[in-house]
Amino acid sequence: MLAAIDFHALGRVVLASLVAGVGIPVLYSLAIFGVGKADEARRGGLNTAAAAYSALAIAALLVFGASVVLGVSVMLNKD
Amino acid sequence: MDDVVLWIVVGTALAFDFTNGFHDTANAVATSISTRAMPPRLAVGLAASLNFVGAFLSLAVAATIASGIVDANYITPSIVFAGLIGAIAWNLATWYFGLPSSSSHALIGGVVGSAFVAQGPKAVYGAGIVEKVIVPALVAPVLALIVCALAISLTYRIVGRRHPGPVTRGFRLGQLVSGSLFSLSHGTNDAQKTMGIIVLALVSNGNLSEGADVPTWVVLSAATAIALGTYVGGWRIIKTMGSRIIKMDPAQGFTAQTVGACVILSASHAGFPLSTTHVMTGGIMGAGAAKRLSAVRWGVAGNIAGAWVLTLPASAAVGGLTYAVVALFGAHQAGPMVVSILLLLLLTAAFVKRIATGRTLTAEG
Repeated sequence: MLAAIDFHALGRVVLASLVAGVGIPVLYSLAIFGVGKADEARRGGLNTAAAAYSALAIAALLVFGASVVLGVSVMLNKD
Repeated sequence: MDDVVLWIVVGTALAFDFTNGFHDTANAVATSISTRAMPPRLAVGLAASLNFVGAFLSLAVAATIASGIVDANYITPSIVFAGLIGAIAWNLATWYFGLPSSSSHALIGGVVGSAFVAQGPKAVYGAGIVEKVIVPALVAPVLALIVCALAISLTYRIVGRRHPGPVTRGFRLGQLVSGSLFSLSHGTNDAQKTMGIIVLALVSNGNLSEGADVPTWVVLSAATAIALGTYVGGWRIIKTMGSRIIKMDPAQGFTAQTVGACVILSASHAGFPLSTTHVMTGGIMGAGAAKRLSAVRWGVAGNIAGAWVLTLPASAAVGGLTYAVVALFGAHQAGPMVVSILLLLLLTAAFVKRIATGRTLTAEG
């Protein structure tokens, strides 16, 4: 029975699912966190902190966007 | 004359594809509708469009769905026809009870049952069933549950102390992206099943050589059928997945959809077909269980798991029974024609009865 299982493919699925499935929601959460904190800092007159949080939000959103593009490219390039 | 039977098989395969889209709409839209990220009609319209596009993007799973489970040398168009009837029957039965279940496994079960009745055990590969049905059925929900539970735990740690308003709006916006990606990945995965079964029928009828490319008309018709089914929407299952397993907030909806898309895409990329239903249901349970175990209605989850266990034997039984009836009238020609006419009459009668009583098949809510 075990011989019928493609452990190599299964391992790839588990690893990719863990990395992308945990990583992408975390990135998006960091973007939401960054936007909220940047807004608070701006209203409190803390311009440096606002810039730092904005940079965090932008970076997280960029990586999130890149991961979506990567997902679509995976669809286009299956084994 | 064999071509008449072949076209009956192709028509039945497309009917199955329609029920596949109709049955699996919930996987793509239930979380978006439940968290009010999108109005219901917009959600199903977007999902249908992306399923259509997704069907054109990859043919990898089409090459693997039928091979390795049944021996193509023993398969005839009548066997494929009876198998499809088994799968359609299971999809309609589970829709009626609002239970999400795997259309892939229903299809495999139907074909296995009809092949078994027609040709005996030599036509069925037991190892193929283990590899393509049992192992994926165990892996998909558990993997999605664990990944989603981890992801939502980290998400709550990051945004848990923020003002709820902007966080909710942010995740609803994110659901537009995650829902779209999930629908697209569903199209790349599920429309391939019908393509696979039509190709199997074409090969068994001698219209196509084994290993040949999937013809364009097969891709186009399968994409259209799954998109139409998705647009019609199986609202009973949407209700189960959107609100009966857990009461979902936008962060959970976004995470479940994103994890679902990631798992399906990873599996699809590796040519290791996983059921989108198993993945999405596991993801939703994980999103609820990470908040607190009692947030998941385990009774509903148990009913769903029961349906998953029954999918293969029940669809195999209907597939086998259908083949036995087909064989009574003549397996090569008259049988599929008689059975398809009888089923069409039955469906028409059921539809007319529902219309007459003022109910539609897909009433929202």
